[in-house]
Amino acid sequence: MTPAAGLALEQAPPFSVPLRFFLTAPWFLVLAGLLVLWRGSEIFASRWVPATLALTHLLTVGFMAQVMLGALLQMLPVVVGVVVPRPRLIAALVHAPLTLGALVLTAAFLMSSPVGFQIAFGLLGVAFGVALVTMLSALWRAPVTSATVIAMRCALFALLVTVGLGLLLAGFFGWGWQLVVVKVTNGHAVWGLVGWVLLLVAGVAYQVVPMFQITPPYPARFVRGFAPLLALLLLVWSALLAAGWTVGAAVAGAALALGSASFAVMTLRLLSQRRRKIGDPTLVYWRASMSCLLMGALLGLATVLIPALALAPQVDLLLGILLIFGFAVGAINGMLYKIAPFLAWFHLQAQLFQRTKIPNMKLLLPDAAIRRQWWAYLVSLLLLLAAALAPIGFSAGAALALSVMGGWLGLNLAGVWLRYRRVLQAGLAVTPKPTPVCLIQDHLL
Amino acid sequence: MSVSPEIVVDGRGLEPPEPMELVLAALNDLQPGQRVRFLIHRQPYPLYDLLRRHQYRYETTTVTDGDFEILIFRP
Repeated sequence: MTPAAGLALEQAPPFSVPLRFFLTAPWFLVLAGLLVLWRGSEIFASRWVPATLALTHLLTVGFMAQVMLGALLQMLPVVVGVVVPRPRLIAALVHAPLTLGALVLTAAFLMSSPVGFQIAFGLLGVAFGVALVTMLSALWRAPVTSATVIAMRCALFALLVTVGLGLLLAGFFGWGWQLVVVKVTNGHAVWGLVGWVLLLVAGVAYQVVPMFQITPPYPARFVRGFAPLLALLLLVWSALLAAGWTVGAAVAGAALALGSASFAVMTLRLLSQRRRKIGDPTLVYWRASMSCLLMGALLGLATVLIPALALAPQVDLLLGILLIFGFAVGAINGMLYKIAPFLAWFHLQAQLFQRTKIPNMKLLLPDAAIRRQWWAYLVSLLLLLAAALAPIGFSAGAALALSVMGGWLGLNLAGVWLRYRRVLQAGLAVTPKPTPVCLIQDHLL
Repeated sequence: MSVSPEIVVDGRGLEPPEPMELVLAALNDLQPGQRVRFLIHRQPYPLYDLLRRHQYRYETTTVTDGDFEILIFRP
């Protein structure tokens, strides 16, 4: 009948599986804002300040990893066609220790507490360990090898390296393990941002940019080659860095920056070729995210070419803000606005089909709510960049904007969930039409 | 009055989930003996899931340019 067997949302987990991650994550942005408000301009002195490391991990582990792992648990069965067994149990085993682990890690940095790092080591080791074993084994068995699957494999391999190096660093702080801390930290950051984040965003973008922004597809040769090439470059860069061959590592670093820039340029070009002229409210998040990736990549390239730049602490901070808050948080924020209402709408369709009319996706999350929160995101981005250059004048403003932006995202997503529940309860109270047979599955939520 | 043997739904180039909304509306109006001919620019995996859950039969064929044509029959 159809060749599509094995690739369907019937294999997808219940709505509650990704939803718990999406409803938790934005509040880590609020915490991040409060931390900046508390510690003030100290945060923007250098990337090595403990409070700055705490802030970085509130954003990367608390917000980014939370959404990315939740979305992957949802997407893997749909995109890759592999059933993830016991999705609720897996989600709980990832979500709870990840949330607690992010909080404990933040506290450990702030209090310089070896015990804190030991507990964070255990919690985050479990969360990422369960996620990695589940997802890598699913991708291993994947019957499809689309460009997205290839990029996801590379991204998860990079996550494995990132987490491995992160655990080593936690061991350094927690038990005094012997490490070359600066090199391991740089490896941890680059594998995390360029490997895990960029390659996952790319793999997802191959699907969602053409789908939701109605652009032409990414060129086939680009999508096949991009992720494996970047993963290879990361390996070469790491080997040269470990071997202490500075010139070689710089060349590989420059190639990584150029590769990252090429994805940003490609995506920006596709976005300029949209076939529909009505502005989609999430388009601006993609444009901002890709512009920040491009600027971050060029700044990274500049530090390779002009070593004096790399010594200025503001350059490190600008790089971090551009890549973490500009590129990653921007792309994730925009994508959440497509994923969350779509899943709500889809699960309502699945449960209430032919019982009652399902509200349009735009009613589950109105465009106006997205557009207003976008301004909060843009203001936070600009104020954070300004604070990196002039901490005393801008850190309080950046802190408030960041909290408002995160809280607003959290409320918008919670709104989707509340409307979902209201429609579901009202719909289930309606008697179904006699034909055809409705198999209502009330296992969702 | 004779009923047309099929309802044609063209979802090509529309933003998700508009194509699925259109095709589900068509299925709601489907009369005995009628079928839906659905044109779409990508494999609509979520739709297959709904169709299977509600015991519709369907046949997918690849048309040119990566477009797909799906014939859907009542259970």
